[in-house]
Amino acid sequence: MGSSTKKKKEKKKDFQKPKLKVGKAKPKAANFTDTSFKSKSIVVNQQVLSADASDPTEQFKQNLSLAITAKSDNQRRDALAYVTNQLSATPPNNPVGTSGILTKLLPLISDGSASVRTQLLKLFRALPPLEVRPHTEKILMYVRGGMTHLSNDIRTDTLSILEWLLEVAGDETVSCPGGWLKTLNSFSSMLGWNPSVGSAITSKGWTSASKTTLGTKKGPEAQARQIQVLAKFLQTGFRPEAPAPYSPGAYWDNIYRLPGTPTPFAYLNLFGMPRDEDSEMYPDRISRQRAFDAKWRAAISAGMEEARKEGGMVGRAAATLDRALTAGLEREVSEQAA
Amino acid sequence: MVKRKVAALEKVEADLVSLQYKIRRDPRSYAQEFFDQWLAYDAQRQIFISSPATASSEDVKKFHDLVDLVAHVADLYPDLTAPFPDHLKELLNQHHATLDKELREKVVGSLVLLRRKDVIDSTSLLTTLFPILISTPSKTLRSLLYTKIISDLRESNSKATNHRLNRTIQTVLHNLVTSDRTSTKGMWATRITRELWRRQIWTDARPCDVMKEACLSDNEKVVVGGVRFFLGGDKEREELEDDSSGDEIDLKKVKHQGTINKKTKKRQKAYERALEKVKRQERKKSAPSPLNFSALHLIHDPQGFAEKLFQKHLQNAKNKFSLDNKLLILQLVTRLVGLHKLTIISLYSWFVRYLTPKQTNVTSFLASLAQATHNLVPPDVLEPLIVKIANEFVSEASASEVAAAGINAIREVALRQPLCVNETLLQDLVMYQKSKDKGVVMAAKGLQSLYREVYPELLQKKYRGKEATMGLRSGEVKQRKFGEEEEGGIEGIELLEKYKEEQKRQKQAEQAAANDGDVKDKDDEDEDGFNSSDWEVGSTESESSTGWIDVSSESESEDEPAKKRLRRDSSDVPDLVDTSKETDSSAAAAEATRISKLATTSILTPADLAKLAELRREAKIDKALGNQSKRKKELIQKHIDEGLTAEDIELPAQLGKKTTKEERIALAKEGKPGREEHKSTQAIRKAKKEAEGKSTTNREKARKKNFLMTVGKARAKHKRSLVETRKTLRAHIARSKSGGRRRNGL
Repeated sequence: MGSSTKKKKEKKKDFQKPKLKVGKAKPKAANFTDTSFKSKSIVVNQQVLSADASDPTEQFKQNLSLAITAKSDNQRRDALAYVTNQLSATPPNNPVGTSGILTKLLPLISDGSASVRTQLLKLFRALPPLEVRPHTEKILMYVRGGMTHLSNDIRTDTLSILEWLLEVAGDETVSCPGGWLKTLNSFSSMLGWNPSVGSAITSKGWTSASKTTLGTKKGPEAQARQIQVLAKFLQTGFRPEAPAPYSPGAYWDNIYRLPGTPTPFAYLNLFGMPRDEDSEMYPDRISRQRAFDAKWRAAISAGMEEARKEGGMVGRAAATLDRALTAGLEREVSEQAA
Repeated sequence: MVKRKVAALEKVEADLVSLQYKIRRDPRSYAQEFFDQWLAYDAQRQIFISSPATASSEDVKKFHDLVDLVAHVADLYPDLTAPFPDHLKELLNQHHATLDKELREKVVGSLVLLRRKDVIDSTSLLTTLFPILISTPSKTLRSLLYTKIISDLRESNSKATNHRLNRTIQTVLHNLVTSDRTSTKGMWATRITRELWRRQIWTDARPCDVMKEACLSDNEKVVVGGVRFFLGGDKEREELEDDSSGDEIDLKKVKHQGTINKKTKKRQKAYERALEKVKRQERKKSAPSPLNFSALHLIHDPQGFAEKLFQKHLQNAKNKFSLDNKLLILQLVTRLVGLHKLTIISLYSWFVRYLTPKQTNVTSFLASLAQATHNLVPPDVLEPLIVKIANEFVSEASASEVAAAGINAIREVALRQPLCVNETLLQDLVMYQKSKDKGVVMAAKGLQSLYREVYPELLQKKYRGKEATMGLRSGEVKQRKFGEEEEGGIEGIELLEKYKEEQKRQKQAEQAAANDGDVKDKDDEDEDGFNSSDWEVGSTESESSTGWIDVSSESESEDEPAKKRLRRDSSDVPDLVDTSKETDSSAAAAEATRISKLATTSILTPADLAKLAELRREAKIDKALGNQSKRKKELIQKHIDEGLTAEDIELPAQLGKKTTKEERIALAKEGKPGREEHKSTQAIRKAKKEAEGKSTTNREKARKKNFLMTVGKARAKHKRSLVETRKTLRAHIARSKSGGRRRNGL
């Protein structure tokens, strides 16, 4: 009844012609698109218009920025691979310089994707060691950030970066501001050998809290590797400096010549913020030994003993650490005796 | 730099949010993990500090998250995180201009969070935020800081007034205003003070002092902020108070819903809550309201302040403030003059320039002039102004609105200082009641009735009216001289005295009748006029009511002359209050001397005061209510409370004006539901209900039901047998007896 007439009317409606009237605006068509909107920013869907940009410099820069900004893991990894290739070519093609690359790519140390991180390590290895050395402090900051990252994989991969850094700039690593004690801090927190936190937990009762839950999830391999890198770090720190060869002009050079190294007066800390004990720089072996002795020796030896008792991979790594420690401290004792 | 979003797959297995949750549940077990993150925070901070301006968005994001984590759990590891607040403060102080927006907000939020967790105290928080509020160029940061500062001050004053903090902040604000008088930074002081005043957090004289300094600043914005505070701050405060008590719960409705709807625990609880809230509101209503002085009363040295304000901003020819702002300042100055009865003689001569009809906003000037008048202003200072107003505004040639405004302005001035108009001018002005324009007539009549009350001699005899003429003849209406003040006193004190005497006499009589032996002791007690049981209000109330009855009955029976006296006195009393009329003046004088004795020789107890109020009420009932100066008192009271506005001056001119059709329509539409199209009231109501999401009635639903759904039932009903019909009818009766389908009766 009612509905049928209604339906009829509705059907009719579809084919009705709109009536045009004089003086009225023409009705809009059904498929009319309103184009009067305004937008404040231009969105570019396609980032690169031509895939093979002719200028190699531009291409390098583009890949470099792509390594940071690209959303997909593969794209980032590929961009890093491209940059690595350019760096390892003979002669190396690097239009932005090592410092440019480092400032751009250092945040990738704690990137979420494993493939990107391994590629990043390869890229770093391709950098010339001499040019890396002045940036050690900055790299070390990122390394410390990575070493205390929540993700276990990132921690482990960061250790490889630290290893690389020790290879290319060992002395700078252990002697830059914050490089010695702060890195040891990170190591101890990684291994769960932290005296201050440990006492806070266990002092109350006879039970002991489980060791760090985030760090040891991966099992003994990860811990063994951590101990190994720590051993390496300590070895570098306790390495006896080679005495500088005698040169007759050294005295006069010191007085009248411009120093050849970057930031030669860094130890004076003329322009930075005041440093506390942790972020102080320990430029020579004896001061490092002293700082270690005061702050970390007991904790690390205790942890080491425990690790040794575990045996296996961890035990072996602990033994290496033990050797490094005894070697480093022995010399101290002998020197003190002398 | 474009921020890269972290896809779900990239996320590391443990994120900071869940770690925070775990730490808060069990801080001791997760100490190691927190220490890790503390180190990570430290490293990230170092990275950030090394180049805050050029930090990559990745780093900023990481730092942001770590700051968030540490701030949330900082109270659980106080030793480890001790330097954290300082880090944040330093970061904010040094880099607030260059920080990333989100990070900046996070840092501010974290500091406030630390305050809430009592890691830092309010003073250190506010002294950190305040300098940034003043110096930062970012608008969003300013508004964020402003809200945080206000809310923190509110919070710390919520339980008890934190005097120390308030004093510190008020000193900071005071220094801000006074240190650099030309800068706009004082704006923040005025804004914060005003807001806290509005919320009744600050109610003493110190914030008024800050505002006073703001008024004397050189910067126009700051000055206007301060002036507006004095003119409108108290009203704002009252409005806010009214608003807060506005949302009331209809308890009846809630109760009714409880009976209709399904009975659940939730509903029960809701009802209890509503009940509790209503009770609380009632308690709040009955509680004595906190005595808050208005800002104008709290000003220290109003004379000096008004003088300075006038000299600096109004009299100074070099001042380039806009006219509106000058008017605001003028309003404040005149308000102060009127309220505190200050004397600024040069103010009145300053007015002369502005009293022409062509002056923009002249009615505001007129209102201000009236406001600045009080009974201690010398009449000869005001007279030239009055003459000028009369010459410029009031003439046959000028427009009726102008004339009406002029006469009304003169009336307002004369209300406060009647001596300022001379006789010829007044008579001239009163004659305007013969004008054709209604507004002018009303204004002139107003002036006439004013002078009938205050100074009838100035009027011509035929305009004086009956009462004034009679009063003049009897000498009751007396013209007051310049500077003469009305005598003050306690209204109805003589009633109390009389009552006390009666009481005493009655007691003595009683005792004499009962026991001769004990008289002496009791007399001693009575002569003291102090009875410990009389001190409390409640105790005497009952006692006195019985005592009152006793008096009348006893005096009727035994003490004839006393009764007579009582009666005569009660009829005389109202006249004595008014100090008027034909009564024998010698008796009145004797009465008056005794009155002062009672008030000056004894302390009035609360019981006495309660009795006094009662007696006064009784006297009032007897009295014919014809207090003539009541209207005048009201007017003056209004002036003291609210001040005079331009609208008051323009009012009589509105009387004669005919309203336009649009105005009438708007007036009729006011307060009615809006209707876009022609619709019945019923339909509008229904639409409103639907818009509110309320359901329709069952009847409505039945009417709307699809015909085809009901047609079957209707047909079947026709075809029923008699037995079936009976069955349904019986069932209906049974059902209605047992409380409907839901069995509500059971």
